[in-house]
Amino acid sequence: MSYEPPVTDYDYIVENCTCAFCGCNCDDLDFLVKDNHVVAVRHACRLGASKVMEDLDQRLMVPMVRNEEGVLTETDWDTALDTAAEYIANSIRPVFYGWSETSTECMKEGLELGEYIGAVLDNQATICHGPSLQAMQNAGYPIQTLGEVKNRADVVVYSGSNAMNSHPRHLARWAVYPRGYFRQRGRFDRTVVTMDPKFSDTAKCSDMWIGFEQNGDYGFYNAIRAVIKGKKLQSESVSGIPAEDIYELVDVMKNAEFGVLFFGLGLTHTLGKQRNIDIAIKMVQDLNAMSKWGLTPMRGHFNVNGFNIFMAFETGWAFGVDFCRGWGRYMLGETNTIDLLVRKEPDCFMVVAADPGAHFPNGANQHLADIPVIQVDIHWGPSTELADVVLPGSFISVECAGTSYRMDGVPIYMKKAIDKPETCRDDEWIIRELKERVMKLREETNVAEKYVPNPIMDLKRLEKEE
Amino acid sequence: MHYANSYLERPVVGDPHVDSDVGRLEVLNCMLNTGSDIYQGACKKRGSTLKEEYKNASGTCYMDPRDMAKLGVKNWDHVLVKTDYGEVVVSAARSRDAPHEGTVFICKGPWANTITSHETYCCSDPTYKGIHATVEKTDREVLLMADLMRWVYKKYVDEEDDDVVENMESLGERPFYNGRKWEELENHEL
Amino acid sequence: MEYILKNGIVYDPQNEINGETMDIFIKDDQIAESVSDDAKVIDVSNKIVMPAGVDVHAHVAGPKLVLGRLYRPEDSRMGVSQKTKIERAEAGFSIPCCPTTGYRYSRMGYGTVCEAAMPPLEAKHTHEEIATIPNIDINPVTLFGNNWFCMEYAREGRIEEMAAYIAAMLRVSKGYGVKIVNPCGSEAWGWGQNVHGYDDKAPYFDVTSRQLVVALAKANEMLGLPHSIHIHPNDLGHPGNYPTTVETLKSIKEIKKSTKKAAKIRDQTVHNTHLQFHAYDGTSWKDASSGADKVADFINHNDYVTGDVGQVTFDETTTMTADAPMEYDLFQISGLKWANKDIECETAAGIIPCIYSPKTPVGTLQWAIGLELFLLVDNPWQICMSTDHPNAGPFIRYPRIISWLMSAPRRMEMIENGEVHKWSHKRTGLAGLDREYDFYEIATITRAAPAKIHGFPDRGALTPGYKADIAVYDVNPNDFDPSRNPEMVERIFTSAAYTIKDGQILVKDGDLVATKPSHVIWTDVKGWEREEAQVLNEMMPFFTQYYSVKWENYQVHDHFLSNPIKVEVPAK
Repeated sequence: MSYEPPVTDYDYIVENCTCAFCGCNCDDLDFLVKDNHVVAVRHACRLGASKVMEDLDQRLMVPMVRNEEGVLTETDWDTALDTAAEYIANSIRPVFYGWSETSTECMKEGLELGEYIGAVLDNQATICHGPSLQAMQNAGYPIQTLGEVKNRADVVVYSGSNAMNSHPRHLARWAVYPRGYFRQRGRFDRTVVTMDPKFSDTAKCSDMWIGFEQNGDYGFYNAIRAVIKGKKLQSESVSGIPAEDIYELVDVMKNAEFGVLFFGLGLTHTLGKQRNIDIAIKMVQDLNAMSKWGLTPMRGHFNVNGFNIFMAFETGWAFGVDFCRGWGRYMLGETNTIDLLVRKEPDCFMVVAADPGAHFPNGANQHLADIPVIQVDIHWGPSTELADVVLPGSFISVECAGTSYRMDGVPIYMKKAIDKPETCRDDEWIIRELKERVMKLREETNVAEKYVPNPIMDLKRLEKEE
Repeated sequence: MHYANSYLERPVVGDPHVDSDVGRLEVLNCMLNTGSDIYQGACKKRGSTLKEEYKNASGTCYMDPRDMAKLGVKNWDHVLVKTDYGEVVVSAARSRDAPHEGTVFICKGPWANTITSHETYCCSDPTYKGIHATVEKTDREVLLMADLMRWVYKKYVDEEDDDVVENMESLGERPFYNGRKWEELENHEL
Repeated sequence: MEYILKNGIVYDPQNEINGETMDIFIKDDQIAESVSDDAKVIDVSNKIVMPAGVDVHAHVAGPKLVLGRLYRPEDSRMGVSQKTKIERAEAGFSIPCCPTTGYRYSRMGYGTVCEAAMPPLEAKHTHEEIATIPNIDINPVTLFGNNWFCMEYAREGRIEEMAAYIAAMLRVSKGYGVKIVNPCGSEAWGWGQNVHGYDDKAPYFDVTSRQLVVALAKANEMLGLPHSIHIHPNDLGHPGNYPTTVETLKSIKEIKKSTKKAAKIRDQTVHNTHLQFHAYDGTSWKDASSGADKVADFINHNDYVTGDVGQVTFDETTTMTADAPMEYDLFQISGLKWANKDIECETAAGIIPCIYSPKTPVGTLQWAIGLELFLLVDNPWQICMSTDHPNAGPFIRYPRIISWLMSAPRRMEMIENGEVHKWSHKRTGLAGLDREYDFYEIATITRAAPAKIHGFPDRGALTPGYKADIAVYDVNPNDFDPSRNPEMVERIFTSAAYTIKDGQILVKDGDLVATKPSHVIWTDVKGWEREEAQVLNEMMPFFTQYYSVKWENYQVHDHFLSNPIKVEVPAK
């Protein structure tokens, strides 16, 4: 990359905008606006800046529907929405996937539609931190906000997470470099450990790199737990790490005043999956007996946590909630998108602010080639190549306001900075329109005649004797 | 209008030059990892997925220089990567995180996903990392995103033969509206 | 819309109406003196009419609720039922999802619930949930008990600045009052520690819980907020903790209640929540016994104190509190999955599932202590119904607690037939208590007293001009003996014959017939703007440096408020 002079040609600055990229939700961005375009972004990382300064060549501007030759054809909003609504209304096993790059306000509309029609609602957690959610359901979830990390943490561990590449400002804003209330010297007051088979960019700026071998996560954490509990290791090395190094690491961890474990997809995507996280959580719990430790999953999209939180307070479960029977069903590995697609169950697939074309494995995507796919997004991407109806949305946090939840659960209201292109619509509007159109086309499915309380409520014995 | 930009034709990679074992192997047996990196992330979320840039950021197999030497490939040579789940042609480049002999890394994206495992083992998440793979040198071209999607999923072509689809006219680097390429649209007005 | 509730047997303790047969008039969303001839007549002869229930303390919305739901899918599955034309699918037992929470409160005849812990940093989240809960109005109280700024103000004795800060933070978080949880203890938890007793200091902060609580109480009265400080004292759940509780309450004694208008409704200067968890004698769980008599005795002699009980109900539930170190102690005892959430500069929270079994000594002791408190506190205006939902049990068990309170024979039966562990009578005085609540007292502890304690000027009574929040229960108290029919008591309070909210019939014969959006109630202090600006100005450099969000994003924007009811407090 060559040197670029600072951008001086702009009309005005919008301060304190929120970055709509990763789970850091940096809310200190300044947008430089000229002629209703963001021409430069201050404070953002490379990722955030590139997203805000989007590629206009590929911006979806007009609703499109595939014609009989399989070519996307521009059309008006009514036709596109009606076509999409018909696909949804005529399906018996619709899946509404995505939601992690839109606002909770939009999710609300989507959930209403999903409950009405009996769809499965799922988000990107299913292909990233799903196992982490499953693990927390097994083992617990000691977390803290990122400000706590900034103010207190003296030992920071990144495990299976390359923050320098996927959450570039994470180190700078919270975990490693900043001066916190109890860490006035910033970086010098902290010990940074990276556990990753790769000597990643994060490892390169850490104090310790633990390069355990591929798929060796579980064994490695098991060894750490054993040492924490005062056991002696029986073998000279575990998962490729010499025993002495493990003793040394445990020493550092036990003597922390406030330690934090940040973990990423390195743990969830390898063979142990949720069991890797299980044992990492248990390790953190063990450490709390002698120190203070917490953890945080490095959530990838800016609102992937938001969808999980939203669904939990609306329905009781985080993601992969199946409404086909008129009540919520949640079974990881069954009611999740990848499993449904691999089993070839869905007969209609709506993608809202997500890109399965780019991020689902071949074996799952093959089924998308056989069923109607509705895409609500802002850019022409891999999913567009599989989409039958394309509905151009607007860019949350730039062209449209909305609520998101940071990786640590802190809610952020992302304000609007510029106007959206005239031909685009807000995601929330699109989904509401779809909902209303589907409601006209089809009766609500699986409605009980009368409310029947669940037996656990223990009301049965109280029933009036008629 | 001057836009500050983060476009980059291809990721910056180091010189892979290694003298030993050159060309010793036809096929490299290795472990495949996929995941994100900053070039891929920036390009994907900017929305430039149709472009050459995305192909270079995402459709690249990052290798240990010794592995590259064994196969006799240089930066940006093409390699064929095969797993139990499929095969795909990508570019080879020296990994910034080397040494990691015996492990290759392809950023997440349509190329990697052609060959990753959809097995969730009943926990919702496919196995994107730690997949056994082979890498070999090839003369075949690395497909652009749209062409790759057409080749893998064939949703909108009446053709089953992989070879035929692979060699069809490219869909190009721009959106394709009403059968007209973007470049053909006047003032890009629709 | 106008209604006449005809011939009901009315219990309205605030207006001292005890079982009189009379008509209640409703005009639009209010109770009226009279209505026109067009009014619709609803015959409620031989039925009990009360103001709709007011829950003095429950955890129904907010980040730790969601954490609980996220990590306990088994709990959500427990309460599943199918959607109908009127209501969405239900889910959850101890931590039901938001729509379910509203429906279940409505069925019991409730109209208002206090959300008892809102961390300012995540207040937007709490408000999003409140907006998702239908049918009940919610007043969230904001957490101040481990707030760094408050700790500093308390240390320096700057009460006026603290008051200004509270006023500003209530506006920022759109909160109703001042909640204090384990003062200084949750800050100590930032280092994996706790404070012990009332005179311990948080590490690095040179301030004791006593200083902090007294300062907050003074600031609260200086502002004249409608609610007093709402405190969860130190040492929750530890055997031998009752002296801490009594000490805490004692320290407020000298503080004069505000004479300002908004503070007039209440009598108390301190509300001690879930007293049951704070009334233990002994030194460890081996020799633990009830300290309820000492705590009740203190309350009986001090009318500036009110409390709610936090009654254990013998269910599998989810405990969640901003008292995070206590939750870690529970984790070390039970080994069940432990969740925790520390929030920068403000508070912490811990969560752990808990099974209260009548067969275990500790759970039974807690159950008995709760009932003792109900029965030993003489004045029902000083003690309220609560399970500290979901900590000691889910709120759907209130009717069961009422049945225990109304029936001494039922309590003795449980003790004598071994339904509950023998600690219930060996370690407490429960077996010697034969007091029974009547319907008037039940109406007091479930609606009139909570409304008065929270200083609501518009609910908790059937006074004309008040909100038409009314519950009707299908029983004739004149030919019914609750003492002999505990199951019947539980049934009638579980499903209201009518629940009317803002003049709209939501429940009929125990079934939901309509839903409506909830209101959020918050306190807007007027007249302190200059002082507020000053403290905000002073704290801003600190905020910018040590918080993880921008000030602009810290505030709860109007966008998040669901039909707000703003309680204006002219504080000067």
